[in-house]
Amino acid sequence: MNRNLFLMEMKRNAFSLILWMIVITLLISLTMSMYRTFVENQSKILGMMSLVPKGALQFKGISNFTDLLSVLGFYAANNIIYMMVLGSIFAIVLSSNTLLKEEYNKTAEYLLTRPLTRSEIFFSKMAVVFLYIFLLNLVTALAGFICMELVKTVPFSIKAFLILSLYTLLLNLLFGAIGLFLSTLVKRPKPVTTFSIGLVLIFYFIYTLSKITESAAKIGYLSPFKFVSVDAINPAYKLDPWHLLYFIGISLILIAISHRLYNRKDIYT
Amino acid sequence: MSVSIIDITDLSKFYGKARGIEHVNLEIGEGEIFGFIGPNGAGKSTTIRILLNLIFPTGGSARIMGMDVIRETKKIKRQVGYVPSDASAYTSMDVNEFLNYCMRFYGVQNNAHRLAELSELFELDLKRKIAELSMGNRKKVSIVQSLLHNPKLLILDEPTTGLDPLMQANFFELLRSENQKGMTIFFSSHILGEIQMLCKRVAIIKEGKIIQLEDIETLRKKQLKKVYIEFGDQVSKGNFSIPGIESVITGSGTLLSFMYSGDINELVGLLAGRKIANLMIEEPSLEEIFMHYYK
Repeated sequence: MNRNLFLMEMKRNAFSLILWMIVITLLISLTMSMYRTFVENQSKILGMMSLVPKGALQFKGISNFTDLLSVLGFYAANNIIYMMVLGSIFAIVLSSNTLLKEEYNKTAEYLLTRPLTRSEIFFSKMAVVFLYIFLLNLVTALAGFICMELVKTVPFSIKAFLILSLYTLLLNLLFGAIGLFLSTLVKRPKPVTTFSIGLVLIFYFIYTLSKITESAAKIGYLSPFKFVSVDAINPAYKLDPWHLLYFIGISLILIAISHRLYNRKDIYT
Repeated sequence: MSVSIIDITDLSKFYGKARGIEHVNLEIGEGEIFGFIGPNGAGKSTTIRILLNLIFPTGGSARIMGMDVIRETKKIKRQVGYVPSDASAYTSMDVNEFLNYCMRFYGVQNNAHRLAELSELFELDLKRKIAELSMGNRKKVSIVQSLLHNPKLLILDEPTTGLDPLMQANFFELLRSENQKGMTIFFSSHILGEIQMLCKRVAIIKEGKIIQLEDIETLRKKQLKKVYIEFGDQVSKGNFSIPGIESVITGSGTLLSFMYSGDINELVGLLAGRKIANLMIEEPSLEEIFMHYYK
């Protein structure tokens, strides 16, 4: 890894990170600020929500309406949209552009003619991507925790909250690895931002489809979202070691393939 | 030739079925200013990109300072400066930030003297954002970054694009001075005039192949003559088919002009029975020699 490149990458992407942190934190805070009102008017809201098709709630990973009455259940239901979907979009956009932007911005000829190996470039940039995904998760999870502490009516399980946050982080890191992989597959220098965002949404759509439709349950396994458990208020909620292995294993495989491809890639500007 | 700085052996690059370069062989000695000339698409940039490990060859090999351009690219790049043809740079940075960023890769961040010297020579405003710079000024930034770490080899790909004549003169003067201090320069261009002005040897690349590799002076002094004949009557170029007549430049009516590399006595003999109004046999310019090879 090269320190100079690492620090410059941090600087170049800092604005984007801060912006995403602010947006997601605001969304979480705004949503959590409604929790008290939600609980106070639960009979009315639950009455209204009973009219909503149950499948529609699956978009938020909710099995029962009453899950929303717990502060952690309420947070988890919104977390899947804000942190899992938006966080994954941040991760994949950042990672798919980190190597590729040097090509389409025509700066690759400067970077790749410095005394650096391709591996040093790859790992320096990857380190920034993963560090920023971690920081985004840390800040937004912290914001979520503070919000829950402020609005809770009864205590919630910190262990369950940490597991949920870890799942979110693993999912975001996996999308980070997918982004790196995508960028090394692209032969001609052009941004893959739209495609990357589309990919996250498609995976999310597959996941929700598999939850709504019994007959489509199996296609859910095509989506990384399937391996994230958001059932945080379930007393048996735990980190599934197979799911952990899935996230770490797939991420490492994608990183290894991306590294190999980048080391042999013809760089055009 | 002195110690070889660039040694290219049978180098080829194909983009799928499309030809990049084919069986290129070149050897450039230490301290040379070597010209690499050819029109757009001839394979100049492909050759340079392989030397800098931006792209990988399909066949053959290349070494710089005895080191393999793929396996030992990091060591090589410590001693190589490069000016790309496209002077894009990190537009969010200012000039000073960009140049310091470049210097830090070589561990020469304290080379303020060199930075000041080069910035002054090229009249660079270090505080300006790169995004605000004209193409010419970006080119100057690109030239400066290539020289900050005092490389042993400087690779230039169309380096004068966008530079005004005064800056070009400063740049050439700088190149001569750096060359005298021992820097080897690989100068790729499609402008013959600047190659002629600076280089001692030149390789002409056409459709991915080196078609001529000569000293500039030898190239100029080749047997090739430019012949201009004005006849007293109508002439058909079909009547002039002796060995040595190469590329006919004009050939209509009473005028005939061509490049001639054959025995001058044979040409004079052929003309002996003709009515000649005017005859000129002269040394062709390097530009004309170049065009001759390209036809």
